[in-house]
Amino acid sequence: MRHDFLDRYSRQDSPLHRVSAEAKLACAFGIVALTVAVPVTAVPYFAGLACALVAVTLVARIPFGYLGRRLLWMEPFVLGVGVLTLLQPEGWKVFLGIVVKSTLSLVTMVLLANTTPFAEILRVLRRVRVPGLLVTTLALMYRYLFVLVDEGERMHRARAARTFDQRRWHGWTTLATVVGQLFVRSTERAERIYAAMLARGWK
Amino acid sequence: MTTAIEVRNLSYRYPDGREALRGLNFSIGEDECVGLIGPNGAGKSTLLLHLNGILPEVPGDGAVRVFGQTDLAGMRRDVGLLFQDPDDQLFCPTVFEDVAFGPQQLGLPETIVTEALTRVGLSGFEKRSPHHLSHGEKRRVCLAGVLACQPRILVLDEPTSGLDPRGRREFKTLLRQIRATKLIATHDLDLVAEFCSRVLVLDRGEMVADGLSGEVLNDMPLMLAHGLERPHTLQHRHPH
Repeated sequence: MRHDFLDRYSRQDSPLHRVSAEAKLACAFGIVALTVAVPVTAVPYFAGLACALVAVTLVARIPFGYLGRRLLWMEPFVLGVGVLTLLQPEGWKVFLGIVVKSTLSLVTMVLLANTTPFAEILRVLRRVRVPGLLVTTLALMYRYLFVLVDEGERMHRARAARTFDQRRWHGWTTLATVVGQLFVRSTERAERIYAAMLARGWK
Repeated sequence: MTTAIEVRNLSYRYPDGREALRGLNFSIGEDECVGLIGPNGAGKSTLLLHLNGILPEVPGDGAVRVFGQTDLAGMRRDVGLLFQDPDDQLFCPTVFEDVAFGPQQLGLPETIVTEALTRVGLSGFEKRSPHHLSHGEKRRVCLAGVLACQPRILVLDEPTSGLDPRGRREFKTLLRQIRATKLIATHDLDLVAEFCSRVLVLDRGEMVADGLSGEVLNDMPLMLAHGLERPHTLQHRHPH
Protein backbone atom coordinates (compact mmCIF):
# COMPACT_ATOMS: atom_id res chain seq x y z
CA MET A 1 0.00 0.00 0.00
CA ARG A 2 1.03 3.62 -0.44
CA HIS A 3 2.85 4.59 2.72
CA ASP A 4 4.25 7.84 1.48
CA PHE A 5 1.48 10.31 0.70
CA LEU A 6 2.92 12.78 3.22
CA ASP A 7 6.52 12.89 2.05
CA ARG A 8 6.78 10.87 -1.14
CA TYR A 9 9.77 12.83 -2.47
CA SER A 10 11.71 13.33 0.77
CA ARG A 11 14.17 10.53 0.04
CA GLN A 12 15.17 11.46 -3.50
CA ASP A 13 18.31 13.33 -4.43
CA SER A 14 18.62 16.96 -5.57
CA PRO A 15 20.76 19.96 -4.58
CA LEU A 16 17.99 20.93 -2.15
CA HIS A 17 17.77 17.49 -0.61
CA ARG A 18 21.46 17.70 0.16
CA VAL A 19 21.19 21.00 2.08
CA SER A 20 21.44 20.41 5.84
CA ALA A 21 18.16 19.82 7.64
CA GLU A 22 19.00 22.60 10.12
CA ALA A 23 19.19 25.20 7.34
CA LYS A 24 15.99 24.03 5.68
CA LEU A 25 14.05 23.97 8.91
CA ALA A 26 15.25 27.44 9.92
CA CYS A 27 14.42 28.75 6.46
CA ALA A 28 10.93 27.24 6.42
CA PHE A 29 10.02 28.54 9.86
CA GLY A 30 11.48 31.95 8.97
CA ILE A 31 9.36 32.14 5.83
CA VAL A 32 6.18 31.15 7.68
CA ALA A 33 6.82 33.68 10.46
CA LEU A 34 7.51 36.46 7.95
CA THR A 35 4.49 35.57 5.82
CA VAL A 36 2.23 35.76 8.85
CA ALA A 37 3.78 39.06 9.98
CA VAL A 38 3.79 41.17 6.78
CA PRO A 39 0.69 43.28 6.06
CA VAL A 40 -1.80 41.95 3.51
CA THR A 41 -0.91 44.84 1.20
CA ALA A 42 2.66 43.64 0.65
CA VAL A 43 1.80 42.19 -2.74
CA PRO A 44 5.41 42.20 -4.06
CA TYR A 45 6.50 40.06 -1.10
CA PHE A 46 3.79 37.47 -1.79
CA ALA A 47 4.53 37.43 -5.51
CA GLY A 48 8.24 37.06 -4.84
CA LEU A 49 7.69 34.24 -2.35
CA ALA A 50 5.37 32.43 -4.77
CA CYS A 51 8.05 32.60 -7.48
CA ALA A 52 10.71 31.37 -5.05
CA LEU A 53 8.52 28.42 -4.02
CA VAL A 54 7.93 27.51 -7.67
CA ALA A 55 11.70 27.57 -8.19
CA VAL A 56 12.24 25.35 -5.13
CA THR A 57 9.66 22.89 -6.44
CA LEU A 58 11.43 22.72 -9.79
CA VAL A 59 14.91 22.31 -8.30
CA ALA A 60 13.73 19.64 -5.86
CA ARG A 61 11.96 17.84 -8.74
CA ILE A 62 8.63 17.64 -6.93
CA PRO A 63 5.72 17.32 -9.39
CA PHE A 64 3.23 20.21 -9.30
CA GLY A 65 0.35 17.76 -9.49
CA TYR A 66 1.45 16.18 -6.21
CA LEU A 67 1.84 19.60 -4.58
CA GLY A 68 -1.66 20.55 -5.76
CA ARG A 69 -3.20 17.38 -4.35
CA ARG A 70 -1.53 17.88 -0.99
CA LEU A 71 -2.94 21.44 -0.92
CA LEU A 72 -6.42 20.21 -1.79
CA TRP A 73 -6.32 18.10 1.37
CA MET A 74 -5.61 21.12 3.52
CA GLU A 75 -7.39 24.02 1.80
CA PRO A 76 -10.83 23.06 3.19
CA PHE A 77 -9.58 23.96 6.66
CA VAL A 78 -8.23 27.29 5.41
CA LEU A 79 -11.44 28.09 3.55
CA GLY A 80 -13.51 26.97 6.54
CA VAL A 81 -11.85 29.55 8.75
CA GLY A 82 -11.65 32.18 6.00
CA VAL A 83 -15.33 32.05 5.11
CA LEU A 84 -16.28 33.50 8.50
CA THR A 85 -14.44 36.75 7.68
CA LEU A 86 -16.70 37.30 4.68
CA LEU A 87 -19.52 38.15 7.08
CA GLN A 88 -17.98 41.51 8.02
CA PRO A 89 -17.89 44.64 5.81
CA GLU A 90 -14.86 44.66 3.46
CA GLY A 91 -14.38 41.10 4.62
CA TRP A 92 -13.18 39.87 1.25
CA LYS A 93 -9.84 41.63 1.77
CA VAL A 94 -9.24 39.79 5.04
CA PHE A 95 -10.44 36.59 3.37
CA LEU A 96 -8.00 37.01 0.49
CA GLY A 97 -5.20 37.74 2.96
CA ILE A 98 -5.93 34.61 4.96
CA VAL A 99 -6.10 32.41 1.88
CA VAL A 100 -2.89 33.75 0.32
CA LYS A 101 -0.89 33.67 3.57
CA SER A 102 -2.07 30.20 4.55
CA THR A 103 -1.54 28.74 1.11
CA LEU A 104 2.02 30.05 0.87
CA SER A 105 2.79 28.76 4.37
CA LEU A 106 1.30 25.36 3.56
CA VAL A 107 3.31 25.09 0.34
CA THR A 108 6.46 25.95 2.30
CA MET A 109 5.77 23.19 4.82
CA VAL A 110 4.86 20.62 2.15
CA LEU A 111 8.13 21.44 0.39
CA LEU A 112 10.05 21.10 3.66
CA ALA A 113 8.45 17.71 4.32
CA ASN A 114 9.32 16.57 0.81
CA THR A 115 12.95 17.68 0.80
CA THR A 116 13.84 16.52 4.32
CA PRO A 117 13.28 13.02 5.76
CA PHE A 118 11.05 13.25 8.82
CA ALA A 119 13.63 11.57 11.05
CA GLU A 120 16.01 14.44 10.16
CA ILE A 121 13.40 17.04 11.09
CA LEU A 122 12.93 15.31 14.45
CA ARG A 123 16.67 15.25 15.01
CA VAL A 124 16.87 19.01 14.48
CA LEU A 125 13.88 19.61 16.77
CA ARG A 126 15.62 17.60 19.47
CA ARG A 127 18.83 19.53 18.90
CA VAL A 128 17.15 22.92 19.35
CA ARG A 129 15.67 21.61 22.60
CA VAL A 130 12.04 21.26 21.68
CA PRO A 131 10.59 19.40 24.72
CA GLY A 132 11.33 15.67 24.43
CA LEU A 133 7.73 14.64 25.07
CA LEU A 134 6.57 16.71 22.10
CA VAL A 135 9.23 15.25 19.77
CA THR A 136 8.40 11.71 20.93
CA THR A 137 4.71 12.37 20.30
CA LEU A 138 5.50 13.64 16.79
CA ALA A 139 7.69 10.61 16.12
CA LEU A 140 4.99 8.19 17.25
CA MET A 141 2.37 10.08 15.24
CA TYR A 142 4.45 9.83 12.09
CA ARG A 143 5.19 6.15 12.71
CA TYR A 144 1.60 5.08 13.33
CA LEU A 145 -0.25 7.34 10.91
CA PHE A 146 0.53 4.89 8.13
CA VAL A 147 -0.38 1.85 10.22
CA LEU A 148 -3.68 3.54 11.03
CA VAL A 149 -4.41 4.42 7.41
CA ASP A 150 -3.65 0.82 6.42
CA GLU A 151 -5.89 -0.56 9.09
CA GLY A 152 -8.71 1.80 8.10
CA GLU A 153 -8.34 0.84 4.45
CA ARG A 154 -8.43 -2.87 5.27
CA MET A 155 -11.52 -2.47 7.42
CA HIS A 156 -13.24 -0.35 4.82
CA ARG A 157 -12.48 -2.91 2.13
CA ALA A 158 -13.69 -5.78 4.30
CA ARG A 159 -16.95 -3.92 4.84
CA ALA A 160 -17.28 -3.02 1.19
CA ALA A 161 -16.83 -6.66 0.23
CA ARG A 162 -20.00 -7.49 2.15
CA THR A 163 -21.97 -4.37 1.34
CA PHE A 164 -24.80 -5.11 -1.06
CA ASP A 165 -26.87 -2.01 -0.46
CA GLN A 166 -25.48 0.76 -2.62
CA ARG A 167 -27.56 3.64 -1.25
CA ARG A 168 -25.63 6.71 -0.16
CA TRP A 169 -26.98 6.73 3.40
CA HIS A 170 -25.79 3.19 3.98
CA GLY A 171 -22.28 4.21 2.96
CA TRP A 172 -22.22 6.94 5.60
CA THR A 173 -23.36 4.69 8.42
CA THR A 174 -20.74 2.15 7.36
CA LEU A 175 -18.07 4.82 7.43
CA ALA A 176 -19.17 5.83 10.92
CA THR A 177 -18.79 2.25 12.14
CA VAL A 178 -15.34 1.96 10.56
CA VAL A 179 -14.18 5.19 12.22
CA GLY A 180 -15.55 4.01 15.58
CA GLN A 181 -13.87 0.62 15.26
CA LEU A 182 -10.64 2.27 14.22
CA PHE A 183 -10.71 4.34 17.39
CA VAL A 184 -11.19 1.25 19.57
CA ARG A 185 -8.45 -0.64 17.74
CA SER A 186 -6.10 2.33 18.05
CA THR A 187 -6.50 2.50 21.82
CA GLU A 188 -5.80 -1.21 22.02
CA ARG A 189 -2.74 -0.81 19.82
CA ALA A 190 -1.57 2.10 21.94
CA GLU A 191 -1.66 -0.20 24.96
CA ARG A 192 0.38 -2.85 23.12
CA ILE A 193 2.92 -0.26 21.96
CA TYR A 194 3.27 1.01 25.51
CA ALA A 195 3.84 -2.58 26.67
CA ALA A 196 6.53 -2.97 23.99
CA MET A 197 8.18 0.25 25.19
CA LEU A 198 8.11 -0.98 28.80
CA ALA A 199 9.53 -4.33 27.74
CA ARG A 200 12.60 -2.54 26.42
CA GLY A 201 13.19 -0.51 29.53
CA TRP A 202 11.15 2.69 28.98
CA LYS A 203 10.77 4.63 32.24
CA MET B 1 21.19 -26.22 36.25
CA THR B 2 20.41 -22.63 37.22
CA THR B 3 16.73 -21.73 37.18
CA ALA B 4 16.08 -18.94 34.69
CA ILE B 5 12.34 -18.50 35.13
CA GLU B 6 10.35 -19.66 38.09
CA VAL B 7 6.57 -19.28 38.15
CA ARG B 8 4.74 -20.17 41.36
CA ASN B 9 0.97 -20.14 41.65
CA LEU B 10 0.45 -17.44 39.03
CA SER B 11 -3.14 -16.38 38.47
CA TYR B 12 -4.42 -13.37 36.58
CA ARG B 13 -7.79 -11.82 35.90
CA TYR B 14 -8.34 -9.25 33.19
CA PRO B 15 -9.75 -5.92 34.42
CA ASP B 16 -13.14 -7.05 33.07
CA GLY B 17 -13.10 -10.01 35.48
CA ARG B 18 -12.35 -12.74 32.93
CA GLU B 19 -9.92 -15.33 34.25
CA ALA B 20 -6.84 -15.53 32.02
CA LEU B 21 -4.35 -17.58 34.04
CA ARG B 22 -5.20 -20.03 36.79
CA GLY B 23 -2.60 -21.19 39.28
CA LEU B 24 0.35 -21.78 36.93
CA ASN B 25 3.45 -23.52 38.24
CA PHE B 26 6.57 -24.23 36.23
CA SER B 27 10.23 -23.38 35.98
CA ILE B 28 12.62 -23.12 33.08
CA GLY B 29 16.31 -23.85 33.42
CA GLU B 30 19.10 -21.76 31.94
CA ASP B 31 19.82 -22.52 28.25
CA GLU B 32 16.64 -24.56 27.88
CA CYS B 33 14.50 -24.04 24.78
CA VAL B 34 10.85 -24.47 25.69
CA GLY B 35 7.76 -24.33 23.48
CA LEU B 36 4.51 -22.86 24.75
CA ILE B 37 1.52 -24.12 22.80
CA GLY B 38 -2.24 -24.05 23.15
CA PRO B 39 -5.36 -22.95 21.29
CA ASN B 40 -6.27 -19.32 20.57
CA GLY B 41 -7.19 -17.47 23.73
CA ALA B 42 -5.42 -19.98 25.99
CA GLY B 43 -3.52 -17.18 27.72
CA LYS B 44 -0.13 -17.64 26.04
CA SER B 45 0.48 -13.94 25.34
CA THR B 46 -0.84 -12.97 28.77
CA LEU B 47 1.62 -15.36 30.38
CA LEU B 48 4.51 -13.93 28.33
CA LEU B 49 3.64 -10.39 29.45
CA HIS B 50 3.99 -11.58 33.06
CA LEU B 51 7.52 -12.85 32.46
CA ASN B 52 8.58 -9.30 31.60
CA GLY B 53 6.66 -7.66 34.41
CA ILE B 54 4.26 -5.81 32.11
CA LEU B 55 1.38 -7.64 33.76
CA PRO B 56 0.03 -7.62 36.44
CA GLU B 57 -0.79 -3.91 36.42
CA VAL B 58 0.17 -3.69 40.10
CA PRO B 59 3.53 -5.47 40.35
CA GLY B 60 5.07 -7.13 43.32
CA ASP B 61 3.22 -10.34 44.15
CA GLY B 62 6.40 -12.29 43.42
CA ALA B 63 4.72 -15.08 41.48
CA VAL B 64 7.34 -14.75 38.73
CA ARG B 65 11.04 -14.86 39.43
CA VAL B 66 13.70 -14.30 36.78
CA PHE B 67 17.07 -15.61 37.93
CA GLY B 68 15.67 -15.21 41.42
CA GLN B 69 14.78 -11.53 40.96
CA THR B 70 11.32 -10.04 41.34
CA ASP B 71 12.16 -6.37 40.68
CA LEU B 72 10.91 -4.89 37.40
CA ALA B 73 14.22 -3.43 36.24
CA GLY B 74 16.03 -6.74 36.69
CA MET B 75 13.29 -8.75 34.99
CA ARG B 76 13.13 -6.42 32.01
CA ARG B 77 16.88 -6.43 31.59
CA ASP B 78 17.15 -10.20 31.61
CA VAL B 79 14.03 -11.02 29.59
CA GLY B 80 13.86 -9.91 25.95
CA LEU B 81 10.30 -10.03 24.68
CA LEU B 82 9.52 -10.27 20.96
CA PHE B 83 5.95 -9.16 20.31
CA GLN B 84 3.54 -10.82 17.93
CA ASP B 85 2.83 -7.77 15.77
CA PRO B 86 6.06 -6.07 14.59
CA ASP B 87 4.12 -2.83 14.12
CA ASP B 88 3.53 -2.71 17.86
CA GLN B 89 7.18 -3.19 18.61
CA LEU B 90 8.73 -0.87 16.01
CA PHE B 91 7.65 2.51 17.29
CA CYS B 92 10.57 4.72 16.24
CA PRO B 93 10.84 6.69 12.98
CA THR B 94 13.99 4.87 11.81
CA VAL B 95 15.39 1.36 12.14
CA PHE B 96 18.51 2.66 13.89
CA GLU B 97 16.57 4.58 16.54
CA ASP B 98 14.36 1.58 17.15
CA VAL B 99 17.19 -0.84 17.71
CA ALA B 100 18.96 1.79 19.83
CA PHE B 101 15.90 2.32 22.04
CA GLY B 102 16.70 -0.45 24.51
CA PRO B 103 20.49 0.02 24.66
CA GLN B 104 20.02 3.76 25.33
CA GLN B 105 17.90 3.05 28.41
CA LEU B 106 20.38 0.42 29.60
CA GLY B 107 23.39 2.65 28.98
CA LEU B 108 24.96 0.33 26.39
CA PRO B 109 27.18 1.77 23.65
CA GLU B 110 25.66 2.62 20.26
CA THR B 111 28.04 0.29 18.41
CA ILE B 112 25.82 -2.51 19.65
CA VAL B 113 23.09 -1.33 17.25
CA THR B 114 25.14 -1.94 14.11
CA GLU B 115 26.27 -5.24 15.57
CA ALA B 116 22.71 -6.37 16.23
CA LEU B 117 21.60 -5.34 12.73
CA THR B 118 24.49 -7.26 11.18
CA ARG B 119 23.52 -10.27 13.24
CA VAL B 120 20.04 -10.33 11.76
CA GLY B 121 21.41 -9.66 8.28
CA LEU B 122 20.12 -6.10 7.95
CA SER B 123 23.24 -3.96 8.03
CA GLY B 124 22.69 -0.86 5.91
CA PHE B 125 19.04 -0.58 6.98
CA GLU B 126 19.82 1.98 9.71
CA LYS B 127 18.12 4.95 8.05
CA ARG B 128 15.05 3.13 6.70
CA SER B 129 11.62 3.80 8.19
CA PRO B 130 9.83 0.78 9.64
CA HIS B 131 6.75 1.34 7.44
CA HIS B 132 8.83 0.83 4.30
CA LEU B 133 9.97 -2.66 5.33
CA SER B 134 8.48 -6.05 4.48
CA HIS B 135 6.94 -8.14 7.23
CA GLY B 136 9.98 -10.42 7.41
CA GLU B 137 12.35 -7.46 7.62
CA LYS B 138 10.23 -5.88 10.34
CA ARG B 139 10.39 -9.11 12.33
CA ARG B 140 14.17 -9.16 12.05
CA VAL B 141 14.47 -5.51 13.11
CA CYS B 142 12.33 -6.39 16.15
CA LEU B 143 14.69 -9.24 16.94
CA ALA B 144 17.69 -6.94 16.55
CA GLY B 145 16.06 -4.48 18.96
CA VAL B 146 15.64 -7.24 21.51
CA LEU B 147 19.11 -8.74 20.99
CA ALA B 148 20.70 -5.30 21.37
CA CYS B 149 19.53 -5.28 25.00
CA GLN B 150 21.58 -8.46 25.56
CA PRO B 151 18.89 -10.43 27.39
CA ARG B 152 19.71 -13.77 29.02
CA ILE B 153 16.24 -15.07 28.25
CA LEU B 154 14.50 -14.67 24.91
CA VAL B 155 10.72 -14.82 24.99
CA LEU B 156 9.09 -15.02 21.56
CA ASP B 157 5.39 -14.54 20.82
CA GLU B 158 4.40 -16.18 17.53
CA PRO B 159 7.79 -15.49 15.88
CA THR B 160 6.94 -17.18 12.56
CA SER B 161 3.36 -15.99 12.04
CA GLY B 162 2.81 -14.08 8.81
CA LEU B 163 6.21 -14.98 7.36
CA ASP B 164 6.62 -16.55 3.94
CA PRO B 165 8.59 -19.84 3.77
CA ARG B 166 11.83 -18.02 3.04
CA GLY B 167 11.26 -15.56 5.88
CA ARG B 168 10.45 -18.46 8.18
CA ARG B 169 13.59 -20.34 7.14
CA GLU B 170 15.79 -17.28 7.64
CA PHE B 171 14.23 -16.61 11.01
CA LYS B 172 14.89 -20.17 12.12
CA THR B 173 18.53 -19.91 11.07
CA LEU B 174 18.85 -16.76 13.15
CA LEU B 175 17.15 -18.34 16.12
CA ARG B 176 19.50 -21.29 16.01
CA GLN B 177 22.51 -18.96 16.29
CA ILE B 178 21.29 -17.18 19.40
CA ARG B 179 22.67 -18.47 22.66
CA ALA B 180 20.07 -17.79 25.32
CA THR B 181 17.31 -19.43 27.28
CA LYS B 182 14.33 -19.46 24.95
CA LEU B 183 10.58 -19.65 25.45
CA ILE B 184 8.60 -19.75 22.21
CA ALA B 185 4.82 -19.33 22.18
CA THR B 186 3.49 -20.48 18.83
CA HIS B 187 0.98 -22.39 16.72
CA ASP B 188 3.85 -23.50 14.48
CA LEU B 189 4.16 -27.00 15.91
CA ASP B 190 6.87 -28.01 13.45
CA LEU B 191 8.98 -25.18 14.83
CA VAL B 192 8.44 -26.54 18.35
CA ALA B 193 9.31 -30.07 17.23
CA GLU B 194 12.49 -28.78 15.63
CA PHE B 195 13.71 -26.39 18.32
CA CYS B 196 12.29 -27.25 21.69
CA SER B 197 13.24 -30.16 23.88
CA ARG B 198 10.38 -29.39 26.24
CA VAL B 199 6.79 -28.25 25.70
CA LEU B 200 4.21 -26.53 27.90
CA VAL B 201 0.56 -26.85 26.87
CA LEU B 202 -1.76 -24.10 28.05
CA ASP B 203 -5.54 -24.20 27.66
CA ARG B 204 -8.07 -21.78 29.18
CA GLY B 205 -5.41 -20.41 31.49
CA GLU B 206 -4.42 -23.79 32.88
CA MET B 207 -1.23 -25.77 32.33
CA VAL B 208 -2.51 -29.07 30.96
CA ALA B 209 0.84 -30.63 30.05
CA ASP B 210 4.53 -30.06 30.69
CA GLY B 211 6.95 -32.60 29.29
CA LEU B 212 9.45 -33.65 26.69
CA SER B 213 8.36 -32.42 23.27
CA GLY B 214 8.78 -35.88 21.71
CA GLU B 215 6.20 -37.27 24.14
CA VAL B 216 3.76 -34.37 24.34
CA LEU B 217 3.62 -33.65 20.60
CA ASN B 218 3.04 -37.32 19.84
CA ASP B 219 0.19 -37.63 22.33
CA MET B 220 -2.68 -37.45 19.82
CA PRO B 221 -5.60 -37.47 22.32
CA LEU B 222 -3.99 -34.67 24.34
CA MET B 223 -3.18 -32.59 21.29
CA LEU B 224 -6.66 -32.91 19.77
CA ALA B 225 -8.37 -32.20 23.08
CA HIS B 226 -6.66 -28.83 23.22
CA GLY B 227 -7.15 -27.61 19.67
CA LEU B 228 -3.75 -28.83 18.49
CA GLU B 229 -2.47 -31.68 16.33
CA ARG B 230 0.60 -33.80 15.84
CA PRO B 231 3.11 -31.73 13.89
CA HIS B 232 3.59 -32.69 10.28
CA THR B 233 7.27 -33.47 10.77
CA LEU B 234 6.45 -36.12 13.37
CA GLN B 235 3.74 -37.77 11.27
CA HIS B 236 6.09 -39.00 8.58
CA ARG B 237 9.07 -41.11 9.40
CA HIS B 238 10.86 -40.44 6.12
CA PRO B 239 13.09 -37.39 5.97
CA HIS B 240 11.79 -34.52 3.81
